Amino acid sequence: MTLFVVMSFGAAAIWLAVVTVVCVAVRSQRRVVAEPAASRIILWGGAVFPTVTLFALLTYAFWLMPTLRPSPTFRDATDLRVEVTGRQYWWQVVYFHRGLKIAAANEIRLPVGRRIEFSLKSDDVIHSFWIPSLGGKMDMIPGRENRLSLMAQRTGVFRGACTEFCGTSHAFMSLTAVTMEPEAFDAWLASQAKASINVAGEGRALFLRHGCGSCHRVAGTQATGAAGPDLSHLGSRQMLAAGIVANTEDNIAGFIANPGAIKPGAAMPAFSMLAPQDIRAIAAWLKGLR
Amino acid sequence: MRLLPREIETFWTLFTGPAIWAGHFLICYASAAIFCAKPALLGMEFNSLRLGIAFVTVVALVAIALSAFLAWRQWGFGAHDPPHDDPTRHDRLLFQGFATLLLAGLSFVAVLMTALPVIFVSECLR
Amino acid sequence: MTVPGPRASDEERAAQSERLRKVWENPRGWRYWTSVNNTQVGLWYASTAFIFLLFAGALALIMRAQLAWPDSDLVSADFYNQLFTLHGTVMMFLFAVPIFEAVAIFLLPPMIGARELPFPRLGAFGFWSFFLGGIFVCGSIFFDAAPSSGWFMYPPLATDEKLSGIGADIWLLGLSFIEVASIAAAVELIVGIMKCRAPGMRINLMPLFAWYLLIVAGMILFAFPPLIAGDILFEMQRMFDWPFFDPARGGDPLLWQHLFWIFGHPEVYIIFLPAIALLAMIVPTFSRRPIVGYSWIVLAAVGTGFLSFGLWVHHMFATGLPQISLAFFSAASEAVAIPTAVQIFVFIATMLAGRVILSTPMLFGAGGIAIFVIGGLTGVMVAIAPFDWQAHDTYFVVAHLHYVLIGGMLFPVAAGIYYYYPLIDAKRLSDTLGRIAFWLMFVGFNVTFFPMHLTGLLGMPRRVFTYPADLGWNFLNLVSSVGAYVFAFGVLIVVWDVLRPKHREPRAEQNPWNAGTLEWISEPEENWGVRSVPFVSSRYPLWEQPTLAREISEGRWYLPDAKEGRREGLVTSVLDARPEQVLRVGGTSKVTIVSAFSLGAVFIALTFKWWIAGAIAAFTCFCAILYWLWTGTAEIPEKPEKDVGVGLALPLYASGPSSVGWWAMFITMVGDSTAFASLIFGYFFYWTIHEDFTASSAGPGMMWPLVSAALFVFAWLATLAARHFNALERTAFVRAALIMALALTAVASAAGIAGPWLHAMNPTAHVYPAIVWVLVCWTVVHAAVGAAMIAYCLARSLAGRLTKTHDMDLRNVALYWHFLAITALITFFVIGLFPEAL
Repeated sequence: MTLFVVMSFGAAAIWLAVVTVVCVAVRSQRRVVAEPAASRIILWGGAVFPTVTLFALLTYAFWLMPTLRPSPTFRDATDLRVEVTGRQYWWQVVYFHRGLKIAAANEIRLPVGRRIEFSLKSDDVIHSFWIPSLGGKMDMIPGRENRLSLMAQRTGVFRGACTEFCGTSHAFMSLTAVTMEPEAFDAWLASQAKASINVAGEGRALFLRHGCGSCHRVAGTQATGAAGPDLSHLGSRQMLAAGIVANTEDNIAGFIANPGAIKPGAAMPAFSMLAPQDIRAIAAWLKGLR
Repeated sequence: MRLLPREIETFWTLFTGPAIWAGHFLICYASAAIFCAKPALLGMEFNSLRLGIAFVTVVALVAIALSAFLAWRQWGFGAHDPPHDDPTRHDRLLFQGFATLLLAGLSFVAVLMTALPVIFVSECLR
Repeated sequence: MTVPGPRASDEERAAQSERLRKVWENPRGWRYWTSVNNTQVGLWYASTAFIFLLFAGALALIMRAQLAWPDSDLVSADFYNQLFTLHGTVMMFLFAVPIFEAVAIFLLPPMIGARELPFPRLGAFGFWSFFLGGIFVCGSIFFDAAPSSGWFMYPPLATDEKLSGIGADIWLLGLSFIEVASIAAAVELIVGIMKCRAPGMRINLMPLFAWYLLIVAGMILFAFPPLIAGDILFEMQRMFDWPFFDPARGGDPLLWQHLFWIFGHPEVYIIFLPAIALLAMIVPTFSRRPIVGYSWIVLAAVGTGFLSFGLWVHHMFATGLPQISLAFFSAASEAVAIPTAVQIFVFIATMLAGRVILSTPMLFGAGGIAIFVIGGLTGVMVAIAPFDWQAHDTYFVVAHLHYVLIGGMLFPVAAGIYYYYPLIDAKRLSDTLGRIAFWLMFVGFNVTFFPMHLTGLLGMPRRVFTYPADLGWNFLNLVSSVGAYVFAFGVLIVVWDVLRPKHREPRAEQNPWNAGTLEWISEPEENWGVRSVPFVSSRYPLWEQPTLAREISEGRWYLPDAKEGRREGLVTSVLDARPEQVLRVGGTSKVTIVSAFSLGAVFIALTFKWWIAGAIAAFTCFCAILYWLWTGTAEIPEKPEKDVGVGLALPLYASGPSSVGWWAMFITMVGDSTAFASLIFGYFFYWTIHEDFTASSAGPGMMWPLVSAALFVFAWLATLAARHFNALERTAFVRAALIMALALTAVASAAGIAGPWLHAMNPTAHVYPAIVWVLVCWTVVHAAVGAAMIAYCLARSLAGRLTKTHDMDLRNVALYWHFLAITALITFFVIGLFPEAL
């Protein structure tokens, strides 16, 4: 941040200086500078000044470098690791916590004040993981695992986005990051590790009968698919369809009926052939999974 | 007998400085990339890599300084001021000397900048 | 001091002019398009590039309309993705680079006092390739088949047939074709600048434009081949499923990013330097004095040229490479700002040391600098990795790159249009319209792109076709969209100014700006370039040699006549421009169009996988090129020497390093070797990313590669022997050695293939066999070309066209074979020995 302020003001000052000199130079009524003096302007203004400035800037930046993005010490030091896998056009999120593996999607919750390690992967094309308020971006590249560590300073809800062009609905691949007090976070994580209390609702049978479980997993049911987002606690998420629309029953129903209307190019087929009341029932059940 | 001819009658001496920078840059990049990708292969510490880069940097700087000296000599040690625009072989040589000297200066700075990170960075940091 | 010849009588001069005019005249009717004259080709080139500029600009306007409001559905996501992919691609490949080639082909010969560039037919070939390839790539959007994976075409998105469709093939093959044309232009320009300057134009007197172009052409030679190598790997994966970028089989998408950006970053400077070169001509003219700091410009151009190759990873700061690597590239990215600053300060110093006339070209130039400096400063910011992690792939970068490219390229080019238009038409563009256009463009540009810095900092990513309303981006985007239309209106005024009928206006003076350099003596009505080739003894000949213009037009200098009815120019030495040879260049011909179109047909057929059509086109192209070489090159002159005037007689034939053909071969092969080096880089790249590089699969073994390497060395020696015997006039031995070389090449190639073949290496199974096969194929294809060259020399010998003195073909082929021998040795040592050394 300081870096940015320093660079912006420095850049503005340099720009003003250069433009002023150009403006002076094009004025016709002025003293003509002699050639040796003009050569000295090139030497000092064009060569020496930028060299010194850039040396200072680089030294400062390299001095900052090891602290800004410390390499995660991974797997041993902390007890929480978040694995985020980019998929076209959503995020698969898995929390590894004390031997548990807790699956979620499209929303990341983090405790304030703890440095959390992320491992970033991709299953299809290159994506890039970025939550501007929490830190810089890191690409998710198929066949590679990139590491990143983030530390939230205050509680709140932040928007993240995919910043590497990843196909038709690249614009519709965003992410919600919720930062919480550590105690609240621990309680939340514990609840996520279990099936939702409303898992026995009435839409469940319809959900299973129409084959939704072959792509989606819902903890506590026979739905164990892995091709689409995990829906175990869908109802508790803030946004739907990777940060695109508000998480309401209507929107869930709309998405089931025609995903392409909300997210062109999504892998999920349209289920508009289902009876409207079936769709509503499934949507209501999903919304209830908290 | 001179070790190096006083006036090297070629176009290519102009590129000496930048070519040394390019070689130095490639060595830094390739050695760091291989070191970080295959730590087991070389079986050495990051500090050895830093020392190696420091050594290469010194060699590159000395080579650039040498080429700068030759260029300075060709430029008549600054006895003649630019613009060197007479249609004579003499002025053409002065021009080459001066341009080579300037490029050597730029290459010197660029080599220093390239080597700067190893002072501050003490691991691969991936 | 060389003095001009005496004035010939009026009748004599009229007869000379008539003969020259006839030799250089354009064909009429439809045959006009077979012209190869540099002014025609330059104009076609520039017009085509401008049409592509307007096309890509229109695409950008559609995008800005779509982004004016949040949640807009003016265009679909897929169409928007095609729009921005094509916008970037067309601007970079079909406008920015070709316009530099166009301007160079048009301006360079008169500027260095030459009649023509050394290979006019090659120039025409390049134009027709560009024309066809450009139409192919642009036309795809009308069939909803345009590439849509971004102009950087990252795999796996762009290698997946389902996700990227045929658009990716169109991009890869269409642009590979155009890259070939760019390299052809680079060869032509390097040889032209090094060997075809007017006598007396020593390297310290060369116009700065020529210095810049020399460096840029050199950069093309090292920047484009890595992309061609990348294209080969990419297309092999798309067509034949060789897994170069497929991580499941050992490939890695990052290799493409490396190869693409090794090309992509120098590309920015390849675009920027020629535009600055235009300013380096304009600023002295309107400061009414020679440039201050000529040597500093050379420093800046050469320094930028080199440093720009150490920046590529700053496009990959977020890919998770070790930070120590990022730091090296960060350092080089900052270092390149120094020569750029020198460049700007040279202009400022020149203006301060002179009396500036703020003409329209100067206005565009100054406006461009003001814009470019902002782009340069934000460039310094994004080159710092920690800042880039936030700014990367956001609208901040969009703003940065447009400030750099529009300020550093489009504004100087507009300045160039206003400055040089009198050379095209002998008319001047309107000052009033120019000033209106400038202010509309300048204000429109800043209104469009300055807010993008802020939208980027507010977190708006690039390449999104729409955005939600509640993020605070709405107002800034609306402002940008409005600005874009203002900017476009300014551009339209320039277009109108150029196209409006001007036949009622008076003819402009020969040198309307009172400039000092030689291009201003060329007359738009005449095709010969210069009436006679002058002896140059200053940097600004028209200022410092006041009688020169008259002497030239009176035909008192070199080559004032064309008695033999041939197009002729002078070849001079590299450093001091001593006259060495009279070069006869090719004239009007259909063979350039036939070769370019048949080569284009090969690429188009490959796109649609029409194998038979492709084979027919390839055969046609091969025959056309053979015909071209046989009839148009290494011609044996009717006499050894020719009187060129001013008491000088020069040879008409040269071979080896003093001939332009040798230089062209050398330069081409340097580019070729760069592509090969990129493939070798790929081999070792795969080694670094894998624990077990070979994936425990069989390699080509040691024996066959080494046998092949040895045989290639023998074939090379046989070629050298042929050259040696030819110098001794032992014709029978020459032919025997050539036949021997042919046979050895065939056996060597077979042995090279035997290694991977006999070990049943399957290139679709894993990346290791694939990269080995690619290296072997590369070498064998080059061997086939080498064999064809040897057969060609044999045929020349049998036709009596290869003798002791007329041995250009054989010497050029021997030069090719030096490079081929090195390629073969490296290939077979690497694939044969490296796996064993592990």
